Amino acid sequence: MTHAEPTRVAGLQLRAASIDDGQQRTVRLPGDGHMWFMVLGDLIIFAAYFIIYMVQRAMAPEAYLQAQQHLSITIGIFNTLVLVTSSWFIAQSVRATADARHERAIRLIYGGGACGVLFIALKAYEWSMKITQGYTTSNEFFMFYYMLTGTHLFHVALGLLILGIVVRELRNPRRRRLSIVEQGATYWHMVDLLWLVIFALLYVMR
Amino acid sequence: MATGAAITSHSTSNPSSRAITYSWTILCLLTIGLWWLSPGHTTNTVEPSVDITTVVIVLGFIKGRLVIRYFMAVKNAPQWLRLSTDFWLLMLWGAVLGIYLY
Repeated sequence: MTHAEPTRVAGLQLRAASIDDGQQRTVRLPGDGHMWFMVLGDLIIFAAYFIIYMVQRAMAPEAYLQAQQHLSITIGIFNTLVLVTSSWFIAQSVRATADARHERAIRLIYGGGACGVLFIALKAYEWSMKITQGYTTSNEFFMFYYMLTGTHLFHVALGLLILGIVVRELRNPRRRRLSIVEQGATYWHMVDLLWLVIFALLYVMR
Repeated sequence: MATGAAITSHSTSNPSSRAITYSWTILCLLTIGLWWLSPGHTTNTVEPSVDITTVVIVLGFIKGRLVIRYFMAVKNAPQWLRLSTDFWLLMLWGAVLGIYLY
């Protein structure tokens, strides 16, 4: 992967990279290889969790299905819509950065981050409701529910931290780079992607 | 002129604003559609359903691919990344379906 010489003038770094990319290829890696290495690794680890869940579920499908009925599909749907919308904000932020509209890009990241905070609040509410109703880790389905959603929640929190770093970089004209925004976006969309699987497996499948 | 063309070329390697919004719309509609299929949707005792689970798995694959291709901008990424993400999706949902049916 080749890069143009970095420059300290706002916007010029992006343009220099653009010239470099545009002249040499139309296909390009969004973000950088290190972030993709981490994201692909995370996807493989989560895939292992999902397969373990499916194997355990296959041993007692009726009990799992009965427990699934105690989850609130309304909260699950809202959580999904909120996270998908956060991804829309972040993807549009990458687009705005590519068009050198940095103020818009920052506002869009704030929108995505706000959706992330709302997701955490909804999940905290759902957890507290389930614990109050007596659905704890003593039930095998709920053990998986707390483990999968808890691990995912940690990734959402880490994603918010990464988005904060992206905003810091974008606010500084000397540091703003498209690849930084793309790296943050790649991580954030991974969080969205993993939730779509969790939602399908825990809330919807029969 | 060459510079302008290069910038345009670079900008189009990221999905357009319209493509992102179309993907978001489809993802939201598919998500809302899943509401009727969920076991939590009804208070009656639900039965296992191969048909519903297969639909959920196919929709899960489609939704995941939309996120990867248009939000993560893998559509214009190098072939190794397009193949690895497709491989991940196929292996995951294939395994889920295989274990469920077995």
